[in-house]
Amino acid sequence: MIEIINPAWFSIVVDGGRYSYADVGVPGSAALDQFAYNLLNYLVGNKTGAPVLEVMGNEFSIRLNSEMTCAITGAQVTAYIDDKPITPWVSFTAHKGSTLRVKEVVEGFRYYVGFSGLMEVDRVIGSYSTNLECRFGGFRGRPLIKGDRIVLKGPKVIGERFVPGEVVPLMEPPHVLRILQGPESHYFTPETINRLFEKKEHSWYIVSSKSNRTGIRLEGKPLLFKKGMDKSIISEGILPGTIQIPGDGLPILMLNERTIGGYARLGIVAKVDQDRLAHLKPKDKVLFQLIGIDEAERLWQQKVELFYRTLPQ
Amino acid sequence: MYMDYSRYGESGVRILFGNTIDLETSKEIRKFYLYLKSLQRPDIIDIIPSFRSCLIHFNNRRTSYDDFISFLMGKAGEIALTKVPEPRSHEIPVQYGGEYGPDMEFVCSYSGLNEEEVIEIHTSTVYTVFAVGFIPGFPYMGTLDKRIYAPRLETPRLKVPEGSVGLAQLQTGIYSFESPAGWRIIGKTSIQLFNPMEEPYSLLRMGDLVRFIPV
Repeated sequence: MIEIINPAWFSIVVDGGRYSYADVGVPGSAALDQFAYNLLNYLVGNKTGAPVLEVMGNEFSIRLNSEMTCAITGAQVTAYIDDKPITPWVSFTAHKGSTLRVKEVVEGFRYYVGFSGLMEVDRVIGSYSTNLECRFGGFRGRPLIKGDRIVLKGPKVIGERFVPGEVVPLMEPPHVLRILQGPESHYFTPETINRLFEKKEHSWYIVSSKSNRTGIRLEGKPLLFKKGMDKSIISEGILPGTIQIPGDGLPILMLNERTIGGYARLGIVAKVDQDRLAHLKPKDKVLFQLIGIDEAERLWQQKVELFYRTLPQ
Repeated sequence: MYMDYSRYGESGVRILFGNTIDLETSKEIRKFYLYLKSLQRPDIIDIIPSFRSCLIHFNNRRTSYDDFISFLMGKAGEIALTKVPEPRSHEIPVQYGGEYGPDMEFVCSYSGLNEEEVIEIHTSTVYTVFAVGFIPGFPYMGTLDKRIYAPRLETPRLKVPEGSVGLAQLQTGIYSFESPAGWRIIGKTSIQLFNPMEEPYSLLRMGDLVRFIPV
């Protein structure tokens, strides 16, 4: 049993995502940092696809009512099990009745908390992930609140596992996002596109506080549409990481909660940098870098290899 | 048949079938989508059919883009000959106006028609579901009679109840969940459009036909 003492600013149950039903509008709702999510399940000895907690904010605190192995990945945090400091990206054993507390987020935004054993939460349309808008999946389709109790099936203690320091991703802003060209990149003036990739002061964007789990809004110099160009498109399918530009010219980075969009799609964040989107917090600086598909595939391949190298053979 | 493919990120293929909203394009897309779905290929993660395109989310660790495209092109002939089931028809009861349709008054004044006329026009067309999305189970339907054309709200409402029936330009749709909404709401249905607890989850699919019945 896991009891929520303080859910911090926001915490939900997530997994690898909800797939196969995007044709009827069901979004993936996956953990935003899949690298951290997958390594977390490895650290606690769970199968790929097991549910974990995705948390934002300081002072997250839970009571663990059985002995079990736990771990934290994602954002860099200072955390304690009772009074003993613990190291993120390294598994640790919690004794029955102990309290896990994340005091502060040091770098990054979202962190992931996992337990050896299976959290008994709702598996809906093939996934444990919480669909917040439609209120299904995860813990009763909603964020966790103080006093919630999650039953842990088969809690166990496994030997210590760790992710080598060099594999732990950096999350410090400015965030340089490598992107691929999108279907409507020709909607914008060449000057506006050049400016975006110049890496000068005027190329920077700032993460808006109006961002949420559906999309990250950016503030900065508006992108200019070519004269006479439509400011919206006939609504069409989108994938996570799509950069949409509404009529006001300010980019929205779409996360995992929409299958269809109606704004011009300037680009798509390369897969290698999609996990980084989980760590864009209000006021962070964002910079874009345009890359080609071959480079994107090569970088992604490297990241996948890095992931598998971390796991024991 | 016009079919133009391009890559969408590392693991997406966007197939464009036309550039306008029309029934012929929609039928081609439906045929392609149903055919592809019936193959149940493990390298296809999701297919998102919409007004003029199909976006395929494929697993590029299983199949390379080039191999995936050759597979699709190799099937073009078969797809052209494939027979797909007739679209399903639905009747959706709607309570129009009053507390259920906060924008009915606007639609009346914008169109210069009275409420009975707006209802009469809205219920006399059999609509085609061009796409399902935005939120699970939300149907983008057309084509609306030009006489009741209504622009979107300039500032979307933060919340409309589940079942709200809206208009936007030449489209009509139903909010399958309580959600923010930019469309003009003229009524509400008590029919559940999406049930996450029971397959196939969504009442409506792309290509289905819908007629509204006033109650």
